Amino acid sequence: MSITRRTLGRLTLAAASLLALPALAQDRPAPFDKPENVRIALVRYLSTGDFFQAYLSGVESQAKALGVDLRVFDSRQDAALQADMVDQAIALGVDGIIIQHGLTESMKEAAQRAVDAGIKVVAFDVNVENDKIPQIEQSDRDLARLALEQAIKDNGESWKAAYVYVAGIAPLDRRDETWKEFKAKYSGIQEVAQFGTLDNPIANSVANQARSVLTANPGIQVVFAPYDEFAKGVKIAVDEAGLSSDIKIYSADVSTADISAMREPGSSWAATAATNPAVVGQVSVRALAMMLAGEDPGRSVIVPPTLITQADLNDNDIKNMEDLSAKMPQFRHADVAMPAWMPNPNE
Amino acid sequence: MANIVIRYGFLALLAGLIIFFAVAAPGFASPQSAVFIFQSVAITGILALGVTATLVVGGFDLSIGSVATSAMMAAAYAMVVMEQSAFVAVLFCLAIGAIVGLINGIIIVYMRVPDLLATLGMMFLLVGLQRIPTEGRSIAAGMTLPDGSTATGTFSEAFLSLGRHRFDFFLPNLVPVSVVVLLVLAVLIWFFLEFTRFGRMMYAVGSNEKAAELAGAPVKAYKIWAYVISGIFASIGGILLAARLGRGDIASGNNLLLDAVAAALIGFAVLGAAKPNAFGTAIGALFVGVLLQGLTMMNAPYYTQDFVKGAVLVVALVFTFALSSRTK
Repeated sequence: MSITRRTLGRLTLAAASLLALPALAQDRPAPFDKPENVRIALVRYLSTGDFFQAYLSGVESQAKALGVDLRVFDSRQDAALQADMVDQAIALGVDGIIIQHGLTESMKEAAQRAVDAGIKVVAFDVNVENDKIPQIEQSDRDLARLALEQAIKDNGESWKAAYVYVAGIAPLDRRDETWKEFKAKYSGIQEVAQFGTLDNPIANSVANQARSVLTANPGIQVVFAPYDEFAKGVKIAVDEAGLSSDIKIYSADVSTADISAMREPGSSWAATAATNPAVVGQVSVRALAMMLAGEDPGRSVIVPPTLITQADLNDNDIKNMEDLSAKMPQFRHADVAMPAWMPNPNE
Repeated sequence: MANIVIRYGFLALLAGLIIFFAVAAPGFASPQSAVFIFQSVAITGILALGVTATLVVGGFDLSIGSVATSAMMAAAYAMVVMEQSAFVAVLFCLAIGAIVGLINGIIIVYMRVPDLLATLGMMFLLVGLQRIPTEGRSIAAGMTLPDGSTATGTFSEAFLSLGRHRFDFFLPNLVPVSVVVLLVLAVLIWFFLEFTRFGRMMYAVGSNEKAAELAGAPVKAYKIWAYVISGIFASIGGILLAARLGRGDIASGNNLLLDAVAAALIGFAVLGAAKPNAFGTAIGALFVGVLLQGLTMMNAPYYTQDFVKGAVLVVALVFTFALSSRTK
């Protein structure tokens, strides 16, 4: 997951300025003409880390922009507790529930109970196998595709590659599918080494592995590291091996630390593709709001990723995530689940 | 014969392994490769040397991994948020390590909490504590602080050079700082434990606490010192980690803990010592490093590496407990 952070302050400011225009609320469909009576719950499975922090700030900012009452339930990776929390939210009489991550097995029935109780439900990154519940997704396949298309653009169609991958992690598995497609499509791409580990601190462990790989396989031109912690580790190893000008790294996800690593003079980190987790949080709330207003956000709501190249960062002098949002509008706001009446928390 | 196997078996295994990888993995037999094997084990090796000190007095320290990651966060916080110099950041980290070690020691010695439980509690405490100042965010230059402002500090060049500078040694730019620190600390702690009165007394405390106490040794002080050493070593590991990564990552450090403990336990088997010892710990860390880097060069996936690490540990423990007790 990407390490991303976003100023709550900035967002709440934006949200507050919207709330300062009460006339707007009157134009919104029921029940958002009286948003203070609308209660929604966010039921979380994962919450530790920058990605989840940023996701939460997005949920909060959109809830604030709508003026609805948000309750946050945090199960801290306890699958049984998360299911109980859905029941708790039902008992509280909330109008809508966002299920954020979790296990299909434990959440399927709880989600069904919520739907049976007449509550609108959306799910982010967890499949609860229910036709009535839209899926919010950040498209991992698109992430990988954008990064790899840039790699082809920069290096042509034939190169020696090393690939960083750990099987069994859902987003990495989806990114892996795209990598396999690219290898099949471009026969010139030669994968000479595959490695990867999630031992934390991940960047340090990956750096150790990458050093060995680079020594054992001279002539690697491209490293595809579709997770920013992997890319950070590979970059450390490339620098230590003195190969910064010979190797290009393509990754997924972005954070303030990644931005400074990509902008170092002569950095080997060429490009990354990322979805803004705060935007994913906003889209989750918007999709739920559409359902509450009787509209249909669609069976699956996909938040499109943005390609961020080293040149983008340097040309716009982007130093951190806030600059990135300010100077790359496609990263700040996704025009997804955005009917005319929906307040935009990013304006 | 059995004696020779017990004494030199593990070293022979290490030599065999190196020869095997030199033949099987291209690029393994080079000075650069040797250096980065040392580099890959430098941080866990330093932690392992610290935990060896607590093992010597018959204790255990589960908090070293989280002390290291807390020190990493503290270094990043001191420089990026508080805009302090590299020197202050390093002192700050060492102080944290020493204080945590002191608290561990006091809880264990005076409150009579069993070592595993006390340091387990400390581990959780630190994993939480390191996230409080930044509300769970990692620390990097230019990050946004919880109050919405942007941090203006950066990692100082002097601090980063701890992770990036390389000393000339036969070849230019060969040996990274972390490897030098590892070697210096290994020699220091080895000399301290084997040849100083203080170190020998720590062994005495570990092998028979009652007897040491009756002989008039200040057992409690020795034990507390062991945890302080362990805390300081772990914080040195954290400083080097921060210098290499160039940012403060939130991390539990559990993998650092497990790898360090594995190295210290493998060390029991080296030279048939059958007890914690600094030389063995260093060899143990090196052994794991050679295995993992060699396997990575041969494109072995990560799960086989965990498997091999576990297998080595089991073999080492069998060496220690079964073989050496049989000959006694």
